[in-house]
Amino acid sequence: MAEIYKLIHPVKYFNDYISRDIRPDGRKFHEQRNIKVNVNSLKTAEASAVVKCGNTTVVCGVQLELATPKAEEPELGFLVTNVELTPLCSSKYRPGPPSDNAQVQSYMLSDIFSNSKCIDLKDLCIVPDKLAWVVYCDIVCLDNDGSLVDACIIALMASLKTLSLPTVTYDPETEEIKVDPDVRTPLKVDGCPVATSFAVYKLTERNILLTDPSAYEEEMCGGLGAHFTVCLNKGLICGNHKFGGSHLLMENQEEVLKIAKERANLVVKVIDSCIKNEKSIDK
Amino acid sequence: MGAEEKDLRDFKLQPMKCELNFLSKSDGSAILSQGDTVALVSVNGPLDIKSTSQSIEKSTLEILFCSKGGKPSVADRYKENVIRQTCEKAVLGCLYPRTGITITIQELEDFGGFLSCALNCACLALLNSGVSLRHVFACVTCGVDEKGEVVLGGRGCDTQISCVFDSIDKTLITCFSEGTYSEGTYLEAVARCRAASELVFAFYRDVVSKYSNAI
Repeated sequence: MAEIYKLIHPVKYFNDYISRDIRPDGRKFHEQRNIKVNVNSLKTAEASAVVKCGNTTVVCGVQLELATPKAEEPELGFLVTNVELTPLCSSKYRPGPPSDNAQVQSYMLSDIFSNSKCIDLKDLCIVPDKLAWVVYCDIVCLDNDGSLVDACIIALMASLKTLSLPTVTYDPETEEIKVDPDVRTPLKVDGCPVATSFAVYKLTERNILLTDPSAYEEEMCGGLGAHFTVCLNKGLICGNHKFGGSHLLMENQEEVLKIAKERANLVVKVIDSCIKNEKSIDK
Repeated sequence: MGAEEKDLRDFKLQPMKCELNFLSKSDGSAILSQGDTVALVSVNGPLDIKSTSQSIEKSTLEILFCSKGGKPSVADRYKENVIRQTCEKAVLGCLYPRTGITITIQELEDFGGFLSCALNCACLALLNSGVSLRHVFACVTCGVDEKGEVVLGGRGCDTQISCVFDSIDKTLITCFSEGTYSEGTYLEAVARCRAASELVFAFYRDVVSKYSNAI
């Protein structure tokens, strides 16, 4: 019966739940979905992670390559992030060149990542002006059930934290490059940016914030993706994107920052314990 | 307009200059300069669009962002998205179902804060085109200097926070930022931007009253 009601009166169905202080999937407004992280799941990649937040599933694989640094920035290496939204993850996406939404998500991710400054690109440089690492982080979404950026950032950070760079010796005279994959140094990661998404729903008089919205909730609140994403790294905000959805009031924002802080601590713990477990299994 | 320009300077906002109906063939257009940054926006519509992108509930907004170099990039898509989501909140799309409204933004000069200038210019062009709006919106950018203090305008600061407010309740519609900053800074920046948005709305009023005698 509920299913039919949902189809015939989609807005009223959603409203009925929200006005009774509960979400259609049974969560409270600020309850988040379970996070599951698995690192080093792909053996062909240098580092990898699979992350599930509720039903949202993303896989991140990291590949390394050597290249010459840009002439303008001879001391910097490269870190390239890319998000792929395949038709597999949602009926909204068609095969072919990346959709506008995929490009926006991809940009948001790389923007948050570069603003957080958690990786110093100078660490990726081997010989200034001659040789530097290019770290390709490819993130593929297998199932898009909302709050995509959150999951992508977790996957990216979990894989970068396990990444180690092979030793490279460069002979400046012969320009010969020797890579020793057995002697590796872990990549320095400073802090861990964590994004928290919210959907903003307008219920007659008040604004309701839904933490970690599912794709259905994002759609009901009217918008492509989540409306409001806050990213924190070591207590500092490193990304704040709000588009669409209902308008935000001042008190909403303080609430948002509090929730984002709690979640940041939680996610860092999840990633760290996952990496620790993985290491103990390896030994 | 002398007094207003002085107000802008007190708030350390860039001086704004605007001309409506800059283009003769579009339904509405505006050119806006905020300091040295200049944006040109043209609005066409409501027009007929291909049936796949029609919506039976509201009109579809199509945003085209042309950078100065003319080369499309992923960053442009992001800017388009920011402008689309902001305009979608403002345009009363339900009045024009099954139609499309095209907003074209041309970057002319970018000396920082271009997106903020483009948003304000898009709002003026929408006003000029006569499309029904729920409210107008104003975008104000704040910078954070080395000492961690919030400065309005904030050209050249590494950390910049931009906020878009609506004209009725002055609530936050859109927000985007660059760099890292603390919570307190963020809340202060939003409050400062909200105060400064009044001036932008006053500027809109001036511009429109110059061009139309009926209102």
